[in-house]
Amino acid sequence: MTATGPAIKKGGNPFGAHRVLEPRGGLPQPAVKLDNTTDFIYDNELLVDVDTLNIDSASFTQIRKECGGDEEKIKAMIFKIVGERGKMQNPVTGSGGMFIGRVEKIGPALEGRTDLHAGDKIASLVSLSLTPLKIEKIIGIKPGTEQVSVKAKAIIFESGIYAKIPADIPEKLALAMLDVAGAPAQTAKLVRPNQVVVVIGAGGKSGLLCAYEASKIAGVAGIVVGIEYSKEGCDKAREFGFCDHVIRASATDALDCHAKLTEATGGKLADVVINCVNIPNTEMASILMCRDEGTVYFFSMATSFTKAALGAEGVGKDIVMLVGNGYTRHHAETTLNILRESPAIRAAYEKLYA
Amino acid sequence: MPTKIDVQVKKDGNPFGAHRVLEPKGVLPQPAVRVDNNMDYIYDNELLLEVETLNIDSASFTQIKKECGGDEEKIKAMILKIVGERGKMQNPVTGSGGMFRGKVLKIGPKLQGKINLREGDKIASLVSLSLTPLKIEKIIGIKPGTEQVNVKAKAIIFESGIYAKLPKDMPETLALAVLDVAGAPAQTAKLVRPGNTVVIIGAAGKSGVLCAYEAKKRAGCTGRIIGITSSDSGLAKMKEQGFCHECFKLSATDALSCYEAVRKVTGGKMADVIINCVNIPNTEMASILMCRDGGIVYFFTMATSFTKAALGAEGVGKDVDMIIGNGYTKDHAEITLNLLRESKQLRDIYEKLYA
Repeated sequence: MTATGPAIKKGGNPFGAHRVLEPRGGLPQPAVKLDNTTDFIYDNELLVDVDTLNIDSASFTQIRKECGGDEEKIKAMIFKIVGERGKMQNPVTGSGGMFIGRVEKIGPALEGRTDLHAGDKIASLVSLSLTPLKIEKIIGIKPGTEQVSVKAKAIIFESGIYAKIPADIPEKLALAMLDVAGAPAQTAKLVRPNQVVVVIGAGGKSGLLCAYEASKIAGVAGIVVGIEYSKEGCDKAREFGFCDHVIRASATDALDCHAKLTEATGGKLADVVINCVNIPNTEMASILMCRDEGTVYFFSMATSFTKAALGAEGVGKDIVMLVGNGYTRHHAETTLNILRESPAIRAAYEKLYA
Repeated sequence: MPTKIDVQVKKDGNPFGAHRVLEPKGVLPQPAVRVDNNMDYIYDNELLLEVETLNIDSASFTQIKKECGGDEEKIKAMILKIVGERGKMQNPVTGSGGMFRGKVLKIGPKLQGKINLREGDKIASLVSLSLTPLKIEKIIGIKPGTEQVNVKAKAIIFESGIYAKLPKDMPETLALAVLDVAGAPAQTAKLVRPGNTVVIIGAAGKSGVLCAYEAKKRAGCTGRIIGITSSDSGLAKMKEQGFCHECFKLSATDALSCYEAVRKVTGGKMADVIINCVNIPNTEMASILMCRDGGIVYFFTMATSFTKAALGAEGVGKDVDMIIGNGYTKDHAEITLNLLRESKQLRDIYEKLYA
C-alpha cells in the first residue's frame, strides 16, 4: 500500500524545463531525453495513472512498418523508445500522440487552481512528444487502431492541457472528438453572424465540426460554403446539411475554387476561410477565396508559412492569416458539447471514428 | 516629343495574371515555369512598364553570383538566360525574385480611372519579380556592392499587383530601402493598441527599428516597448535609438531566457503583442512564451516554421493568435514612407545604414 505517495519537490518550471535531461536548458518537446522518474513529482505537476496511449498516426505507421506489422516487435519498439527518451516521441517522425488515464496525484502548488480531483478520468491534450512517461507493462494493442493498452505513469506539466472525460460520452467517442478539438472551437471564435464562411474539407473529420459551428454562428443570414475534393466528400457534406452550398473542387486549384465560390455566392468572397485539409499547396485557394480584410485560418499541418506569406503579397490581398493553434481556452468543452447539441454529428462520429 | 506607345490591347485578362501563364496551364504566375512576356500587346487590365533597375532578391543574387564565380559578364548572361527561358526573373534554385523600379508606359483601359497612376509616373513594384512578366532588351550594368541591375527592359503588372509611386521628397534609393520592408511597420500600426506591452524581436534591425518606432507611437505613454537583439552592437544601437523602454541582449532561439526576462520586467503579465522580425530559424517558442494568453504573435520572419508554431503553442497550452506575416496591407507603402518624414531620426538611420 502506498499511503504516503510520491515525494514532492519544489521549484518546477511551468513548461516542464526542470525534467529535461538532454540537452540541458531547453524545453521538453525538442529534448532528446526527459527525466521520467515518478517516485517524486514537482509541486506544479500532475501524476497520472495511464491506461491507454493513442499513438500519433504518422508515428504508429512508421513503427508498424519498421516492425513488419509484428505486434511483439511493435511493443518492444515502443518500450525501447520510452526507455531511451523518457517520453513516447518517435525519433523518426518526431511526433507523439495522446493518452487516457486517471489522476493519481495533484501537486500541492496546483491544488485549488485546477478543477481536477484525484481519481478523475482525463485525456491529455498535450502531445506525448513532451510528456514524461514510464511504462511498466504493455498489455496489448487494439487491432486496427493506434491504441496501446498499458500500465504506465505520466506527468502533466503546469502549462499542460487535458480534458475530463464526461460521464455521458463514451471514452473512444470523446477521444475522437478531442483529437480535433481546436478547430471547431476556433471557428466559433472567428465567425460572426451573417458572414460568408468557406470550410475547405467540410466532409472531413474536423471540417464537419467546423461547418456545424460556422453554420450555427453565421446564422440564417450567413452563408456556409463547403469545399470537398471527392464525390463522396460532397455527398457527406450535403447529407449533414450544415453547408448552404457544397462545391466540388480541388483546394490545390486556386483559380477553380475562386471561380466556383463567386458563382455560388453571386460574387461574394468569404469573410472567413477555414482550411481543414491535410494536403500541400492549398494556401493560394484559401487566400483567393477570402475577401480583403477577411481572415484565413490554416488548421492544416501541411501549410507552408512562406507560400502563405508570399502568396498573399503576390496577389495584393490584405487579409489576416492565422496559424492554427490546437489549443484555445475551453476548446474541449466547446467541442464535446457539439455531441450533445447535434444528434446527426454524434451518430456520424459513432459510426465513423469511434 | 513623348514616345508614342503603340501596343495592341487584348480583352479578358484574369485579375491575378493567369492569362499570361504558358506552362503548366491553369496555374497562377508565381508557381508557373514559364509566363508569356510578349510586350507587343497588353491585356486591358494590365500595366506596361519601362524598367530601369531590377533589385534582385538577396538569396537569388547570392546564388547566381556564387555559381558565376563573381564574374559580372557571367552574371549578366545568367540573368538573361533565366528571363529568356521563364519570361520572368525567378531564380530556379531559390524560387525567389526581387522587385523593380521603372516608369509607367501604358495603363490598360479597364484600369483607367480606377487607379491613381498616370503614364510617365515613376513607381517601384511591390510584387515579386518571381511572378512578373519581364522582357530584357539589354543589361547595362550591375551596381558594385549591390543587387541592383540596370537594364533596358519592359514588365507587366497585373490587376492584383501592388506598387508604390516613388515620392519626390526623398532619394529613390532611400525610398526603395524602406519599401523593401513596408509591410512590417504598417501591420504593427494595425495591431498595437494604446497601453499595450509590445515585444519586438530584432528591434535593432532593418524592419525591427521601424516596428519599434511605430509600436511606441501607437502604444502611447501608457505602453511599453521591449526590444530584443542578439548582439552587443544591436544592443548599443537600440539604446541609442531610444524607441524601446527595455532593451535586452538575448538569443530568440532561447525560449526560456526570453520568457524569464519578459516575465520579470512585466511582473508576470507578459506581452500583449509580439512582433518577430529576425530571419533565423527556431524563434517560434520564444515568441509564444513571451506572449500573454489571448495576445497576438506576428511572425514577419520567413524562417518561421508553421508546424513549430502550431504544435509549440499547443504544447504549452497557450491561447494566442499567431499571424502569418503578410507583406501587404492596404496603404502600407504610404504609411511606411511617411515614417521617414515624421522622424528625422529614422531618416538619418536609414540614410546612414541602408540607402
